[in-house]
Amino acid sequence: MRTLRTWLSVASATVLGATLLAVPGGAQEFETKSPTAEDWAAMAKLPDFGGVWERGGGPPRGGGAGARGGGAPGGAARGDAPGGGTRGAARGARGGGRGRGGPSLTAEAQALQQAFRAVSREDGETANCLPPGMPGIMGQPYPMEFLLTPGKVTIVIEAYTQVRHIYTDGRPLPEEPNPEFHGNSIGHWEGDTLVVETVGFSPLTSITAGVPFSDQGTIVERVSLADPDTMMIETTITDPARLTEPSTSTAYFQRHRDWTITEYICEENNRNSVDSQGNAGIDVSVPTEPR
Amino acid sequence: MSTVLVRRAVSASLVALLLAAATASVGAHHSFSAFNMREEKTITGKVKTVEWTNPHIWIWVDVPNASGGTDTYGFEGMSPNFLERRGWKRTTLEAGDTVTITFRPLVDGKNGGMFTTGTMEDGTVLTMGGSR
Repeated sequence: MRTLRTWLSVASATVLGATLLAVPGGAQEFETKSPTAEDWAAMAKLPDFGGVWERGGGPPRGGGAGARGGGAPGGAARGDAPGGGTRGAARGARGGGRGRGGPSLTAEAQALQQAFRAVSREDGETANCLPPGMPGIMGQPYPMEFLLTPGKVTIVIEAYTQVRHIYTDGRPLPEEPNPEFHGNSIGHWEGDTLVVETVGFSPLTSITAGVPFSDQGTIVERVSLADPDTMMIETTITDPARLTEPSTSTAYFQRHRDWTITEYICEENNRNSVDSQGNAGIDVSVPTEPR
Repeated sequence: MSTVLVRRAVSASLVALLLAAATASVGAHHSFSAFNMREEKTITGKVKTVEWTNPHIWIWVDVPNASGGTDTYGFEGMSPNFLERRGWKRTTLEAGDTVTITFRPLVDGKNGGMFTTGTMEDGTVLTMGGSR
């Protein structure tokens, strides 16, 4: 009898264990393959995205002072742009996509924005070193680097020492993505244009000031070379719960072959801060030890 | 001599990039709210130490006061990555250097503010151009 009970106990534990093991199997899983010589050879046919890119400038020979468009995606040029709502601090950034009026908000999103603006904030959470996430991270005044490898494009972003992972190995977007600062991205090539689809954004990121993404939010980026040393990224944000229509903007980036991505650990010596009410602070205690 | 040359080169490149810096440096990290952007002050003193750190460099300067001692002022500048691409080095300003600094003062009245320009003893002008 005892033996039977023991056996049953073991059996039920086994069933339970199998059930637990089966749960992760229900999520989207995709195994990477070892790249072949052909996979590597195919990389040579892709456009040269190498080197370090700094946001700014306009289209080649366009004479524009900055990108045109909706102003939201990565729009460091707007005081109320993604990036933590550093209102009034961000006017005039080169290449920022200051558009005419910005994205068209739904009534729900307008209410969210009005509630956000009802509180007078001196600063946003980036003052506490929280990175802005998408799309704000693509509009920073520090450069970024694209790494192309078989099955993946990796964007190393100097600001806040961030990284974006874009899978080009054919995997689908996750059906139930975890909300992340940079979302969940897959990409594919249409000729010489990298098309990136991203879903699943953290509520701590925002389409525009005070308007976080809903779970229906998507971003599509079309990345291409406008001339040999100018990268163009056309960004379209779609979110039926927040925007009455997709919001598209275009930003340009200039290549600096003599630059190297450096470290930017914001927490190293951050003397700025913001509290939960939006009040800015600054620590001017004199350092006692040389750094 | 070489130091002076380097510093003059630094100065030239900084001047050339003043406009670019003024526009490119905004948009990251924090707002101007800790600083009185409508006011500008100037002090002269000796560099006590430089924090060549992220997200901002801080230049600490001992400034003579009325009672015969010194007060230490803190000046926030841009970040090392930004400045190093525009001619600055970690050693551009070193402890003991005499420097005249123009700054946007702290709104809380404490000693210091946002660095706008600096002039070294040899006349070299240092600027971050609207940096924070």
